[in-house]
Amino acid sequence: MEKIEFFDANVFIGRPHNGMFGAVNNSEGLFEEMDKQGISRAIVWHIFQYEGSPVEGNRILAEEISKSDRFYGCWTILPPQTQEIITEDFFKQMKENKIVCLNVFPDWHRFVMDAVTFGDFFQQISERNIPLFLTMGRSCISWDSLYRLMRDFPRLTCVLCDIGIWGVDRYTWPLLEKFENFYLESSQLSLEEGGVEATVKRFGSERIIFGTGFPVRYPKASILQLVHADISQQDKINIASKNLERILKKEKL
Amino acid sequence: MNSLWGKFLENGRVKECPVYDMHAHMGSFNRIYLPFGDFNPEITKSRLERAGIKMLIFCSHWTLFSPDIGNRANIEVVRQLPDKLRAYCGLNPNYPEIIEKDVEDFEKYRDVFVGFKLLSDYHQKPVSHENYSPAWKYADKKGLIVLLHTWGGSQFDGPEQVRIVAEKYPGAKILMGHSCHGAWDETIQLMKDFPNVYAELCAVVDDRGGLEQIMDACGSKQIVFGTDWPWFNHHYYIGAVIDSGISDQDAHNIFHRNAEKLLEGLI
Ligand SMILES: [Zn+2]
Repeated sequence: MEKIEFFDANVFIGRPHNGMFGAVNNSEGLFEEMDKQGISRAIVWHIFQYEGSPVEGNRILAEEISKSDRFYGCWTILPPQTQEIITEDFFKQMKENKIVCLNVFPDWHRFVMDAVTFGDFFQQISERNIPLFLTMGRSCISWDSLYRLMRDFPRLTCVLCDIGIWGVDRYTWPLLEKFENFYLESSQLSLEEGGVEATVKRFGSERIIFGTGFPVRYPKASILQLVHADISQQDKINIASKNLERILKKEKL
Repeated sequence: MNSLWGKFLENGRVKECPVYDMHAHMGSFNRIYLPFGDFNPEITKSRLERAGIKMLIFCSHWTLFSPDIGNRANIEVVRQLPDKLRAYCGLNPNYPEIIEKDVEDFEKYRDVFVGFKLLSDYHQKPVSHENYSPAWKYADKKGLIVLLHTWGGSQFDGPEQVRIVAEKYPGAKILMGHSCHGAWDETIQLMKDFPNVYAELCAVVDDRGGLEQIMDACGSKQIVFGTDWPWFNHHYYIGAVIDSGISDQDAHNIFHRNAEKLLEGLI
């Protein structure tokens, strides 16, 4: 039987300004944690991208992830109009810096994430299959604005992270049903009793991407849940790494 | 490294480390879809056995949110799966006459109930409210378990309220459901001041740090495992507890030994 390899889609480095138990400030710290947990690769972002400066945070992240092949980066975007992040050679820069996906915190960074602001840019990332990672944590977006985003950009590859403590199937299942490139990150879906099983039964295992939520959450929690979920071994392998690999392979930078 | 981790990872359950879930529910619920909310003896049993849950102590959502259904929902469910389930007799202080009746009838259902459950944040009366007092007095006298929903900062079931009932009813075994979530310093002080007060881990291990702080200050002898099942997944919570870095002995205390002591004479 093929072994389950874990590719973690939801990890950050950097120490939050208000402190956080067990946060690691650099790649070395993250290496140690991943080795301890048996996680082979990770998509990483830096908390300073959110809390401090997206521009400087993106730069620090690129430097940190350049230290190992096991890391891929996730940059934070801002409205193209201000040209703080999105400049003419943005996709080239992503490629050069091993950045494979983007995240966005509209409410916190104070802009409206819709077609007015991001029309052309979201068309481009839809065509290039560049995944946009959204979080339901950190006052990022509302369900209403997420629904509007997916209605406006139905081809967008979107990974919804940190879906919440309370199960949110009533919110996410309509999105999984209508938009084929909409995915769920697993660190809090795993928390829901039967959440992974019910989602796989309804939509197949291709729509869930493994994540630990480290350093906020315990990696062994989502690992143990997935390993013993009532789904097939192939489903587990898909969730643990294959789905994310497939998404990244389709990407055109 | 905790030696139980490898065993849980390999088999999903560990014979020498059974798990008691001291904080659970039952039944479908208005605000959330629960894939395993509906009780079915076979399915419930198989979900519990997957994670080596030896016993699950619950209070039905329907009891807590409908005075018309009341504790019937608990009695009917436990009696269909008595080797795996026990219940807390649910109390709603907005219906004191039902509380009086339930306390009066408690002995009739000793095969079902191990104590009482208070959900004061939702019922909007503090845990020390006089409407609960017949149940508190009874629990105090009989050494019953009282599971409180507790949350840091709450006027109904925050640390100050827990202190009042812990002082007044030293014979009751008080489980702080969610361990006064977020108010960890006060949780720790309550555990130090009152041997009859226990931290319960549901929602505590959603994030790292809280359990570590409680363990550092108090050790594992006043901590019990709970999940709000069928809200939350047993393997997820077992993995989280082990990932906090506890020793094998502490894991045994949290997963079963403390619960076994609490339940002595009650099951
Ligand atoms: Zn509860």
